[in-house]
Amino acid sequence: MADPPRPPRPGPPPLPLTSQPARQAARIAEQDEADLVARAAAGDRDAFGALVERYAGVARRVARAVLGNPEDADDAAQDAMLSALLKLDQYDRRRPFGPWLLRIVANAATDRRRRRTVRRAEPLDPGFVAGGPRPDTTAERRALAQRLREALAELPERRRMAVVLFDVEGYSHGEIAEILGIPEGTVRSEVFHARRRLRALLVDWKEDE
Amino acid sequence: MKDLLPFDHRPDPALGEALRRALDPGDGTEGTAAFVARVLARAADVPALSWDLVLARWARGGVAAAILVAVAAGYLVGRAGAAAPAPRPTMTDVLLAPPAHPREVEIVLASVIDNQ
Repeated sequence: MADPPRPPRPGPPPLPLTSQPARQAARIAEQDEADLVARAAAGDRDAFGALVERYAGVARRVARAVLGNPEDADDAAQDAMLSALLKLDQYDRRRPFGPWLLRIVANAATDRRRRRTVRRAEPLDPGFVAGGPRPDTTAERRALAQRLREALAELPERRRMAVVLFDVEGYSHGEIAEILGIPEGTVRSEVFHARRRLRALLVDWKEDE
Repeated sequence: MKDLLPFDHRPDPALGEALRRALDPGDGTEGTAAFVARVLARAADVPALSWDLVLARWARGGVAAAILVAVAAGYLVGRAGAAAPAPRPTMTDVLLAPPAHPREVEIVLASVIDNQ
């Protein structure tokens, strides 16, 4: 089954089927990224900095999906970026850069989680702990975010990463399969089960309101 | 949010947005800039991949591969030499070769001489 149109994501956007200028812009973005990678591999630190900036958000979110704790996630994302810099000469430039980098991020986060002997719990949001009336939308959003993080933490790690890469970062099933090193059918199944759990949580949340 | 069907693999913007908010560090562009600066500061300690480093890496791999090939070739040649069949003796070799059981021949000769 072909994947439907995806939301925007870092890196070159997928080629649209409609307008010629948009297609040209996508090609330029792809070319731009390939050029950045080539320059970074040749030792250009500004080019590497541009790549880090472009993928910082997605790398930090994917790492946080695995680790929960934002500080640990940033450490893992940082390790992954440096590891990618060292391995840039091994990167096949005919393939998209994003999935290659995110595979390194996912592995770095998983390794860090395995090494972490004492699990440091993320401090709960004070508004959520209090359990009192929700003063405003910001507090509600925070509480929902906290509940979502807890629900994510209950999911198996692979399922967590699959749903984040699909629904948050906009990668296709095929790309996620490449990132996680699993068959595409397994990715579809993991996304389905994760969404069923998380959607139920969101529905409950809306009904509670 | 859409109804969930078993084969519904369309993106869910509502869930995606909620998850994004949940996973976002919440430090905005300043946080991203700080993260990038941190990575670049660490990257300054990483040696740049110059051509000589790349060639040196390839050379190390090449030397290792050459050693492996040499060991494998040596093993195969040695094994082939040990397993080669011995050449078959010619008729001349058979006739000139000492008898396999000389004692038996001597006993036969002695008995013939005794009978005469």
